Amino acid sequence: MAKGFGVLAAAMLTLAAMPAKADKLDDIIASGTLRCAVVLDFPPMGSRDASNNPIGFDVDYCNDLAKALGVKAEIVETPFPDRIPALVSGRVDVGVASTSDTLERAKTAGFTIPYFAFKMVVLTKDGIGIKDYDSLKGKKTGSVSGTFEALALEKDVKAWGAGTTFRGYQTQADVFLALAQGQIDATVVTSTVAAAIVKEGKYKGLMMGGDAPYDIDYVALIALRNEQGLINYLNLFINQQVRTGRYKALYDKWIGLGEAPNLTIPGVYR
Amino acid sequence: MHYTFQWRVAFNALPDMLWGALVTLEVAVLSMVLGVFFAVVLALGSSSQYRAFRGAAATWVELARNTPALFQIYMAYFGLGSIGIQLDSFPALLAGITFNNAGYLAETFRGGLRAVPPTQMRAARSLGMGPVQAFRLIVLPQMFRVVFYPMTNQMVWAILMTSLGVIVGLNNDLTGVTQDLNVKSFRTFEFFAVAAVIYYLIAKLVTLSARLMAYRLFRY
Repeated sequence: MAKGFGVLAAAMLTLAAMPAKADKLDDIIASGTLRCAVVLDFPPMGSRDASNNPIGFDVDYCNDLAKALGVKAEIVETPFPDRIPALVSGRVDVGVASTSDTLERAKTAGFTIPYFAFKMVVLTKDGIGIKDYDSLKGKKTGSVSGTFEALALEKDVKAWGAGTTFRGYQTQADVFLALAQGQIDATVVTSTVAAAIVKEGKYKGLMMGGDAPYDIDYVALIALRNEQGLINYLNLFINQQVRTGRYKALYDKWIGLGEAPNLTIPGVYR
Repeated sequence: MHYTFQWRVAFNALPDMLWGALVTLEVAVLSMVLGVFFAVVLALGSSSQYRAFRGAAATWVELARNTPALFQIYMAYFGLGSIGIQLDSFPALLAGITFNNAGYLAETFRGGLRAVPPTQMRAARSLGMGPVQAFRLIVLPQMFRVVFYPMTNQMVWAILMTSLGVIVGLNNDLTGVTQDLNVKSFRTFEFFAVAAVIYYLIAKLVTLSARLMAYRLFRY
C-alpha cells in the first residue's frame, strides 16, 4: 500500500513538473496569489490610507476577485503608463486599474467587459474664471498622460489653438500639484476623483468647473490579450459583482454620490 | 513572454519621434552652451579671492554633483512653482540640466585651468595683454583643449538627461512623444526600442562630430 502510494505521489509530482499547458488562470490558482496592478494615486479608486495601506474601490475589487478565486490578493502599485509593461513582464496577473477600453489599446491588451464607468468634469482653481468646459479656450490645461480624459482634452486643445496649451504629466498627484501651483489653469478628471480631491482639501482653492462633454468613459479589467480563459473568468466575475449587489455596495462605500453607473449600453451586445 | 512585436506600428510613428528627437537635441545643445558659460564663471568663482564667490560656487557645484538630476529638474518645475515662480516645462527642464551641466563642468574646468601653467598668464601679461584679454586669448583656449573630451561626455549625458523632461510634463521631446504613443496604443516595447536606437544614434553622432571638431581645432 505504502509502495502504491509512493508511485502515485511520484506520478503526481511528474504531472506537476510537466511543462504544463496551464494557462494564466491555472497559474494563479496554483500559485495561491493574485497579483493586481492598481493605480494608487487615483482616489477613490486607489489610494493609501494614513498608515500607508492600499485602499479604494479597485483595491476592494481585487480582494473580491481573489476571494472568488480562493487565493490571496497582492496589490502591486502601478502608475498609469506602466500598466501594460507590468502585465507583459509578468509582474502582475490582472490590471484592476480603471483602464479605458479603447480599440487602439485592445490591439495590444486583453479587455474584459466594463467594470466601472466615469463621467468627466473640469477641475480648476478659484479666481481663474473657468465656469464651464468652453471657457478652457486660451487657458493652460494638463492631465495624466494617456488617460481617456487626456486624449479627449488634448484633441480639443489642438482644435482650439490660439494659446491653449496641454501638458501631460506622469501621475495624477503631479497634475494636482501643477494645478495648485498655477502651472496649469485647469484639468479634466473623473467626477469621482474631483469630488474626492476637493473634499480632501489637501490642495487649496481647487473647485469644480462644470461637466466635460465627453462620451462616458467605460473602464475594464485588463489581462494579457491571449489569456482568453482568464478574461472569460473576469467577465463572469464582473457580471456576478453587479448581480449580487456587491458592485453597488462598493460604489456606495467609496463614491457614494448618486447611483452606481450603468455598465450596459442599450441597443448592442458586447 | 506572451507578446508579439508589431514593428510596423512603431515605424509608422517614426516621423513624430524624429521631430521629438529634434527637441531633445535642442534642449541638450542649449543646456550645454549655457552650462559651459556658467561653468567658466563657477570655475573662476571657486578660485576667487572673495569668500562669497567661493561659497556660492562651492554650493552650486556640491548640489549639482551630489543630488539626482531628476530631483534638480523636479525642483526647477514644482520647487520654484511652490514659491510662485512658474517656469514652463521646456525652460524648467533646460534650467535643471543647465544647473547639472554647469556643476559638473565647473570641476572639469577647474582641473583644466590648473593644467595651464601659470607662467602662460604671466608671459601674456608681459607681452602687454590686459588680464581679461590674456585669460580669453591665452588661458581659455588651452583649457578647452584639455577639457574637450570630458565636455563631450557631459554633452552625451545632457542628451540622455533630457529624457527626464517627461516628469515635468514635457510631451514634445523624444521621451515625451514616445510615452504619448505608448499610453495610446500600449505598444511599450516597440516604441521604447525605437526611442533607444534614436538616442544611441544621436549620442554617437555627437561623439563622432566632436572627434572631427577636435581634429580641426586642436591641431598643432
